[in-house]
Amino acid sequence: MATISLSSVGKVYPGGTRAVSDLNLDIEDGEFMVFVGPSGCGKTTALRMVAGLEDITEGTISIGDRVVNGVDPGKRDLAMVFQNYALYPHMSIFENIAFPLRARHMAKDEIRSRVERAAGLLGLTEYLRRKPRTLSGGQRQRVAMGRAIVREPQAFLMDEPLSNLDAKLRVQMRSEIANLQKELGITTVYVTHDQVEAMTMGRRIAVMRKGVLQQEGPPQNVYAHPANIFVAAFIGSPGMNFFEARVERCEASYQLHLRDQVLSLEPGVVRGRPSLEAFVGRCVGVGVRPENLALVDESSGSLRARVSRVEVLGAEALVYADIAAKAVVADEVIEAADSGEGDTRAPGSTGDEGEVTLIIRTDPSLEIDVGDRIPISVRQDRLHLFDIGTGMAIWT
Amino acid sequence: MNKRYTWRTFGHELVMLVLAAGFCLPLYILISVALKPNDQLFTKPWEFPAQPDWGNFSEAWGERTDPTLTQSLLSSAIITISAVVILIVTGSLCSYVLARRPGRLSNLLYVLFLLGIIVPFQLCIVPLYVGFRTAGITGTYLSMIILWVGVFMPLTVFLYTGFVRQLPRDYEESARVDGAGIFRIFFRVVFPLLRPVTGTVAIMTGLFIWNDFFASLVFLGGTQNATIPVAIYSFVGEYLTKWNLVFAVVIIALAPLVIFFVLAQKQMIRGFAGGIRG
Ligand SMILES: Nc1ncnc2c1ncn2[C@@H]1O[C@H](COP(=O)(O)OP(=O)(O)OP(=O)(O)O)[C@@H](O)[C@H]1O
Ligand SMILES: [Mg+2]
Repeated sequence: MATISLSSVGKVYPGGTRAVSDLNLDIEDGEFMVFVGPSGCGKTTALRMVAGLEDITEGTISIGDRVVNGVDPGKRDLAMVFQNYALYPHMSIFENIAFPLRARHMAKDEIRSRVERAAGLLGLTEYLRRKPRTLSGGQRQRVAMGRAIVREPQAFLMDEPLSNLDAKLRVQMRSEIANLQKELGITTVYVTHDQVEAMTMGRRIAVMRKGVLQQEGPPQNVYAHPANIFVAAFIGSPGMNFFEARVERCEASYQLHLRDQVLSLEPGVVRGRPSLEAFVGRCVGVGVRPENLALVDESSGSLRARVSRVEVLGAEALVYADIAAKAVVADEVIEAADSGEGDTRAPGSTGDEGEVTLIIRTDPSLEIDVGDRIPISVRQDRLHLFDIGTGMAIWT
Repeated sequence: MNKRYTWRTFGHELVMLVLAAGFCLPLYILISVALKPNDQLFTKPWEFPAQPDWGNFSEAWGERTDPTLTQSLLSSAIITISAVVILIVTGSLCSYVLARRPGRLSNLLYVLFLLGIIVPFQLCIVPLYVGFRTAGITGTYLSMIILWVGVFMPLTVFLYTGFVRQLPRDYEESARVDGAGIFRIFFRVVFPLLRPVTGTVAIMTGLFIWNDFFASLVFLGGTQNATIPVAIYSFVGEYLTKWNLVFAVVIIALAPLVIFFVLAQKQMIRGFAGGIRG
């Protein structure tokens, strides 16, 4: 078991594609770290550099306190789980799991007992004599895990190990892998494009976009305090609501001016953000998550919207409602929305021309009809403001 | 599956049956003649002998030829098996490197191999003969093994390289991360995955080498190391009238091939069915 640290790591593929730039990350001993981001953002490349399967163009990677830049993959003492498992089709399950031990010339008895222990842990004992092609997807996934844990390596590297499974099995394996990792306490780097997987499994997540690390931290932190508009849009399902508003001063506080409505900012929001001063008279991006909008009665609503659709999902309902405002059309939001699942708004989230569709997560027992004009309240302590020019969140 | 059995289907089947019968005809003649007693050879050329004369086989086998049939069969086996094994081992290793090593040199070498497929080897017989004589190995097994390995290496490399190129790298990468060295990776992981090609190469080259008459006659004719087709030829010369004996020998020469085919076919089908899925 060991720490893994990446310092100023960059990768340019032969042919000139830059896949990773200036990646700095320290992964602690025993930690479950998830790399997450949309397709093509360089997650796999970063992982493969740690594994030694890809040359490191810039920077250094160390495992423990050894710099491994020039170290052969086999000498890094890591175990990797591939997206398609890469189980050797001609070997039995036993031989597949035993392979890393045989490669290290371990004694026969020791191999047998270790393979049996790993198989027992994963519920594979009765399949040891079978060939991979006779196993189900979930069982193959377990065999791949078995091959990784059998050697007790310094770290596990996993590249989208669950993406070939159906939704139900994925949820089950998600917790199985997380539990197994906790039990073994082995440092793990896990790559996924699925933010739900990242949120539920990672002790820490690193969000990447176009080869650049956007933000890292515990999932709840990233969720609550996204550093920029991309992270805000990428994490969470359904995604955060965005619209543009002009900042205006109003006595001691500020107001956000939408097309035809005004949202007064509470003192708490303003106090923490002295830099808002600089945005007076300009437009900012406003972000608010579906669960931080609420349907209220006429008197306390701070915004009004016209209901365009209602989806009742059992425990909750999603209300789609349009307000007159300018949509945030930054590339970041569109890219994040494209890669999100379960979000049925169009990228840029415009309803009719000049309107933005907000999603409100609410109690399914409320009776709401399409076409109603409803009052909405905004939880301002969970409000996100973004500099539209740079995409950075305004937290100061 | 709601296709009915129509006249059209029947027509197709009839054509197929006639074609199949056409292919079987020479085989029928081969077997029936080999079992005919001498006196029926020309009187009843098309009939299957009423009392098969199995004695033809032992008589043919017992003919005192030089080299004996046993020796010739052995020569054929040594040359064919050695050449095929060398082709498979060196060809697959070489193709693996050509397919996986990035860069221009690999491509250049690959193209050179491809050119080798186009050159008819008959053109090289004379220079080869001179070369073998200079090396002092004319008429030996070694010369024939060298010849066949050279002749079929381009085709072998072509087949293997094409296959390796489309083999996912994950298997090798997984093995590398697990600490396997290149030989373990090749022989334990890659080579078994190449089984379909190995089967194809073994059958294609093995058949050709076993059956070859021309090169074997040129290089081994008149020596103790003559292969079975050359031996059959000398049989024909000496016993021009005893076609039943000649055909019996042909069947003896074919037997190892048929056995090999039956075994290898099973292997190959399993190889294909196993595929390259995880
Ligand atoms: N072998 C390669 N040669 C050249 N470019 C590559 C190579 N592998 C990846 N790339 C490029 O590097 C970038 C990052 O790729 P990478 O595979 O790391 O993305 P990813 O985040 O894993 O995406 P996904 O979620 O789709 O797996 C992409 O733009 C890709 O086109
Ligand atoms: Mg990837």
